[in-house]
Amino acid sequence: MCDTGCAGNAGRPNMAPVYPKAGRYPDYARLVDRNRAQVDRRVFVDEGVYQAELQQIFARSWLFLAHESQIPNPGDFIRTSMGEDDVIVVRQRDRTVRAFLNSCPHRGNRVCMVDAGSKARGFICNYHGWSFGIDGGLRGTDGKVYEKDETFEKAQIGLTPVAQVDSYKGLIFGTFDPNAPSLLEFFGPFTFYLDIMLDNDEGGTEFIGGAIKSEIDCNWKFPAENFVGDILHAFWTHQSGAQAILGGGVDLGKRYDELAFQASVYGHGIETNLDKVGNTRTLGYPELVDYVFDLSERARDRLGDLRSRAIGAISSCTIFPNFSFLPGQNTFRVWHPRGPGKIELVVWTLVNKNAPDHIKELYRKGVMMTFSPGGVFEMDDGENWEYSTRVNQGFVTRQQPLHYALGLQSADLDRDLPGHIHKGSLNDANQRLFYTRWAEFMEHDNWTDLQNGETAPPQKTASAAE
Amino acid sequence: MIIEICDSAAIPEGEIRRFEPEGFAPIAVARHEGRLYVFPDRCPHADESLAEGWLEDGRVVCGVHFAEFELDTGKVHNPPVGCPNLSFFRCEDRDGKVFATLTGGPEYV
Ligand code: FES
Ligand code: FES
Ligand SMILES: [Fe+2]
Repeated sequence: MCDTGCAGNAGRPNMAPVYPKAGRYPDYARLVDRNRAQVDRRVFVDEGVYQAELQQIFARSWLFLAHESQIPNPGDFIRTSMGEDDVIVVRQRDRTVRAFLNSCPHRGNRVCMVDAGSKARGFICNYHGWSFGIDGGLRGTDGKVYEKDETFEKAQIGLTPVAQVDSYKGLIFGTFDPNAPSLLEFFGPFTFYLDIMLDNDEGGTEFIGGAIKSEIDCNWKFPAENFVGDILHAFWTHQSGAQAILGGGVDLGKRYDELAFQASVYGHGIETNLDKVGNTRTLGYPELVDYVFDLSERARDRLGDLRSRAIGAISSCTIFPNFSFLPGQNTFRVWHPRGPGKIELVVWTLVNKNAPDHIKELYRKGVMMTFSPGGVFEMDDGENWEYSTRVNQGFVTRQQPLHYALGLQSADLDRDLPGHIHKGSLNDANQRLFYTRWAEFMEHDNWTDLQNGETAPPQKTASAAE
Repeated sequence: MIIEICDSAAIPEGEIRRFEPEGFAPIAVARHEGRLYVFPDRCPHADESLAEGWLEDGRVVCGVHFAEFELDTGKVHNPPVGCPNLSFFRCEDRDGKVFATLTGGPEYV
């Protein structure tokens, strides 16, 4: 600090934001064995792998931050995480949204302690009173002290901005990587499937009823892979819950073989049936089923036949790496990593803005009863993920192979849909592609390679190979 | 001694402007509901600029730790610990000019 002598000529601080560079971790990438359809269990427990995930995946990917409806007015903010980094997401006076690291550039203290708020004037650090505007800039400190210090350059100090923030049909995402491709390029043609939930009605969507937080002692990838394509577990894990709510077991519908499929682009994946209301039925309210039948009819013009049948169907989706939702049940969630063996789960309910109030209310209650910490289905899942993680503390256990090989020959090359399509939703295909994407992030230090690997949408791979 | 600060038109309704009259510490001039207010551009809490704050519901709000001062009385609201009230200079809006009495310091009104 005092290289140039502390007698008054010490070097001035450089307070410019630092966006970490990605590295290359080929050894970790090899933990996903594409040829054998196996995933090495160390990806779930190893601290070195976990730190590499924070660097390679969470410091580069576009991560879900908030729904536009949560912060409608200037100064409205919510606090969330990107990986383990605490961030504040704030609506600006010009109505754009910006996000900042929630850490004071003085001694690092958190500047925002609450989860959310409206019309904030700014954020004052509790430690020495440095004050930041909603634009992240340092507004002032203690003039009695700092004004007398002629070397103090207030203008170059502020909260570190999240490098890029953008939104897609109501959902706001951010990335710490200034060189990341646009949000739309990160999604690729996967937006086709996102629109099933985000654009099935005029007027767009909103989150209702606040957020529910809980902790699960599992690795973040278990829930992410579960939502990317694991309807298989429902027949065993959720059978009794379904029995309780529906009076019958999980049923994929008569035309399952012909209609159900998995789709994957850049590791984002959806598995879906086209039964219209299979998921919605599990919320237990006949009015919601009627609403979705009706919506599905009306949405035909916007979405076409196939997607309009998926609005309430038995289906699930993960946006790589850790943002998931269930069409039909309308639960949206982020699996925030908290070390290799823990997640913080935050859950919201999404509805169409134009839905009648009593329908919104039924969704809110229905999601509480099924997919909240006390919900019938969430309870079922958490325990499985905890033991799938915890057993690998066993030295011998974690050397053992895991089987990700269901549906190896199920690629559907005929269906004219975006992404990698596999037949049937009872399939490990999307999970294999999720881990392939994970390996791509471990392997590559640049976006050109990242966007042109095996998980890239097929026609793009073809043209790149020409 | 009364001195001329600026053109009256330089202070739009609802705004605060900073001035640095020669021989005096910087001052802030604000207009609320037509009326002018002149006070030191130095927050009584920790000396930060009040002109960089804003007017809200008849109060000057300091943009740094959000102390609020009533324009009529200087009474502080939402004070950080130890923050006194704000004092004002006598001022006049005459012939399209703003005049203020800066000598002797501001007075608590
Ligand atoms: S750590 Fe924030 S003001 Fe010192
Ligand atoms: S400097 Fe104005 S409130 Fe602290
Ligand atoms: Fe489940």
